Amino acid sequence: MLAAGMQPAEAKTEDGKWLIYLSLSYSGNSWQSEAANIVKALAKTPPYNDTVELVEVISGTDPQSQISDYESMIANGADGIVSFPISSNALNRTVRHGCEQGVLFFMYDATVTEQCAYNVSYITSGFGENTAQALVNELGGEGKIFLSRGVPGNSVDERHTNGAMHIFNQYPGIEIAAEYYSNWDDRTTQQETSKALAAHPDVDGIWAQAGEYGAIQALLQADENRLVPMTGENSNGFRLALANEEYQAKGLSGVSAGSPPAQSGLAFKLMMEMLEGERDELPEDQRNIQYPLPWVTADDVKLCEGDTFEDGCNTFPGDKVPSSFVTEVFNPELLPELSLASALEGTPTPGATIQPLPADVIENAPNEPGINCRNCDAPENLYELTTVEPTVSP
Amino acid sequence: MNPSYGVTDKQDTRQAQRLSSTTIAVLTIYGLVVLMIFGSRLVSPSLGGISQLMTVLYLSSFLVICAFGQGLVILVRGLDLSVASMITLGGVLSTTFMQGTNEGLYFIIPGILLISAMVGVISGLGVTHLSIPPFIMTMAMGLIVYSVCLGFTEGTPRGFPAPMLNAFMQNKVLGVALPILLMLAFIIIFTILQSYSAFGRKLNAVGNNPEAANIAGIAVKRMTISAYAISAACSALAGVLLAAYANGATLRMGDDYLLPSIAAVVVGGSSILGGRGSFLGTVGGALLLTTLSSMLSALGVGQGWKTILEGIVILVALIMLREQIFTGLQSMLKKTN
Amino acid sequence: MTIKKIADSGLMIMVIYLIIFAIYAAVQPSALSAYSIQGLFNNSLPLMLAAAGATFVILQGGFDLSVAGTISLVNSIVAVLQFDGALGAVGILGIALTVGILVGAINGFVVAYLKIQAIAATLATMIICQGIALLILRAPGGYVSDFMAYELTGSVFEVPVSIIIAFLVAMLWFVFRRTNAGRNLLAIGQDAKASELSGIDVARTKFFSFLWAGAFYALAAYFLAAQTSTGSPSAGEPFLLLTFAAVALGGTAFGGGRGGVTASLLGAATLVLMQKFLFSVGVSSFYTGMVQGLIMILAVLFSGAVQFVVDKRNIT
Repeated sequence: MLAAGMQPAEAKTEDGKWLIYLSLSYSGNSWQSEAANIVKALAKTPPYNDTVELVEVISGTDPQSQISDYESMIANGADGIVSFPISSNALNRTVRHGCEQGVLFFMYDATVTEQCAYNVSYITSGFGENTAQALVNELGGEGKIFLSRGVPGNSVDERHTNGAMHIFNQYPGIEIAAEYYSNWDDRTTQQETSKALAAHPDVDGIWAQAGEYGAIQALLQADENRLVPMTGENSNGFRLALANEEYQAKGLSGVSAGSPPAQSGLAFKLMMEMLEGERDELPEDQRNIQYPLPWVTADDVKLCEGDTFEDGCNTFPGDKVPSSFVTEVFNPELLPELSLASALEGTPTPGATIQPLPADVIENAPNEPGINCRNCDAPENLYELTTVEPTVSP
Repeated sequence: MNPSYGVTDKQDTRQAQRLSSTTIAVLTIYGLVVLMIFGSRLVSPSLGGISQLMTVLYLSSFLVICAFGQGLVILVRGLDLSVASMITLGGVLSTTFMQGTNEGLYFIIPGILLISAMVGVISGLGVTHLSIPPFIMTMAMGLIVYSVCLGFTEGTPRGFPAPMLNAFMQNKVLGVALPILLMLAFIIIFTILQSYSAFGRKLNAVGNNPEAANIAGIAVKRMTISAYAISAACSALAGVLLAAYANGATLRMGDDYLLPSIAAVVVGGSSILGGRGSFLGTVGGALLLTTLSSMLSALGVGQGWKTILEGIVILVALIMLREQIFTGLQSMLKKTN
Repeated sequence: MTIKKIADSGLMIMVIYLIIFAIYAAVQPSALSAYSIQGLFNNSLPLMLAAAGATFVILQGGFDLSVAGTISLVNSIVAVLQFDGALGAVGILGIALTVGILVGAINGFVVAYLKIQAIAATLATMIICQGIALLILRAPGGYVSDFMAYELTGSVFEVPVSIIIAFLVAMLWFVFRRTNAGRNLLAIGQDAKASELSGIDVARTKFFSFLWAGAFYALAAYFLAAQTSTGSPSAGEPFLLLTFAAVALGGTAFGGGRGGVTASLLGAATLVLMQKFLFSVGVSSFYTGMVQGLIMILAVLFSGAVQFVVDKRNIT
């Protein structure tokens, strides 16, 4: 036991636990709460239930608020902070200060450009360009499309859209009929898509970020017999729709990819392994860790019988979870400890214990200036396709 | 300089004149809406038709409902900043209680409206009896309600709206979506309530001049509280409908309605200082804002330009709807007569 | 009369601030370290400046929603200007102030001379500014010089720069409210008609209140960029409601005529401190909103009660 007031560099709170903060942007949509629930469930899974004290802090959407909360966490003697960062630049100074005090920072999904923090993110895995190419393939290289984007002035949205436009610009036959911001939200996507459909009822395809299920609802509301090819993220409703034969007959096809909440679980487990000394810390310029891009086409959709991803299943029956539930919460290889209750309620799976991560789990992410590094150069093949091949030439 | 500082210093003798200038303002705003719908043909040939009108009407129904409540609060010289949280409360309560079945729907919805109205009563009490500025009272109430929703759902609203409500949002009668019909009924009933009932006249009197209303024997505080209660219930109703529309609730579902609800009221010609306003004007304001955004979304320019255009149109509408212009116009007409 | 002066000078909110700070420091001893205090004030300064600006408009009985748009716009502009060093920082400050005052001038013209309701007009300018911010900076990022990022958030002779700035603003207000312009501002907030009759140029006074507001929003955006070493086209959004909460917490009356900039500075500082305080006493994140809401109501009631007592003493 350490005396009070000593530096917590060695270990743990007074009761002998690691003090870990889970710092969130805001709670309230499925994605955010699932990502948080995964971490909470893992922290309650043996042996972490005895070694980890997890405190959840919600900072809202104001970077200054998160700065203040990070400072409080550091002052409280945090050992590690696993966080969804609100800004890729604004938190840097505070993060650097925390690193100097011996705090481990693990960011999931969104990233910071301060090199002493670990970024565990799919963001560099090419969601934008790959889904754009998939849509172009579905459309045979021509057609009028909508872009349903994220939040205006957000760097993640900007990265996805830049990747997508890199592909669309290669195809003169692709016309962007409308481009709107849907705030990564089903309801807003539905409303904005409805507006765009009023002007362009003859749209041929939709490229969507999260909230994609709302686009399907808007299409059906405008004309219950017509759907179009579209790409979107990982909502359960979208995956069920992709595999729905009735919808396919109406014209729906496409691919489900995008941001997996499971990133938070990987971030947390990596951090714990480093704290426990089971894994070496990485040099500062190698702390950007890429999470692979989920990629599920209509043919790949497989319903889960149980409460976790087993036997390659990747979607849940509609009566088990809401349509907005983000399916990519599991990863049988990296996060075998989790079940549906973990994602929905933050409760551990009965009987599960923490399994070590595979030794070679770390895949370095490429540099992307302003996303995961400062004063760095993007690789030349930044928007190179990684997951899908073009089937139509420009 | 022509000194005129809002309505506070106007005498009641001007009531008749003010009414007609309000009428002109309302007509102008509907004129703008019609003009804009036809004008949007220039943006896209598919626009400007009945389908765009239907989309606009459908999407504005949510805004119209919460803007009615906001309008009443503004009428009694307040401001309701709890709109966003009350929408969320309505959505969260409806999905939690309904759990995806139609059972008990007939008392669940009134129950939700009642609970919300009680929250509104608390806001109203704070404003009237504790003299807390409306701005602070409703913002604090909004924070508290949001926080309760967050804690109650532990961050994840669960459950689904009743299937009957989902069907209501999707079905059409004679080609008109049911929510549009609901909105029309809402507009008719509440226009009568606000402009032609004893209740409405009392509210107007309170807004025009609380002291005079008090002397005239109107229970000023009770009328003020009822405005807050109605506003809270309206926002919650919008939340119930939004949850049915998107088949689920999220905690931030109300965020997009706070500023538009204020904008719809002021663009619709109500004075933010209270005492002047008609629901038909507010409806016009809501339609104008929704038409504008549907037109802008079809425009092939970046978000920056769209946002700038939106602001400019609001500003131009405000300048066009200035009271001075109408009174000037009236006196001109009188002269020519 | 002395008690009334004290009430108007924001003493009440200062007492509230000190009480909260005392509890916070008792629970979290490191709160008293130089690093913590500097961090706290760096974090508070942008909101303090924004609230100071809004106070000018609210005192004359107006309302200004453009705070969110102006901060986003100026913050984006600051982040695209690549001037280094102290001179560069001064240059950027000049540009920032110019833009802020320009937005204020538009607001002032529309409200004071075209006689559009302030809340409606400033809603429109807020939206327009947000749009322009998105044109200037597409996503968060940009460049903030090391001088701004480190010197402006550091200390001079052991005193944090942010405290010095706040103090200067309080001094400015102390002087300003004793000038004719300052007296006119409060007078038209109390009774515009009477002020007009007594020869005050009401429109002009209102116009200038928006200029002050715009300048302070720009200052807030400038120090926000320094604190976060970055710019964002949506930087101002969190400020919208917080600014008004801060002003109200300071005891300035919405509707005008009573209150002051110093009180608003303290009101803003209290809001920021509240977050630290709630963290340190371990209120669950789910319920911080509830506690914040209750504290806001209580603080307003508290200063209202004091005001009531003061008024009563004045009458008798």
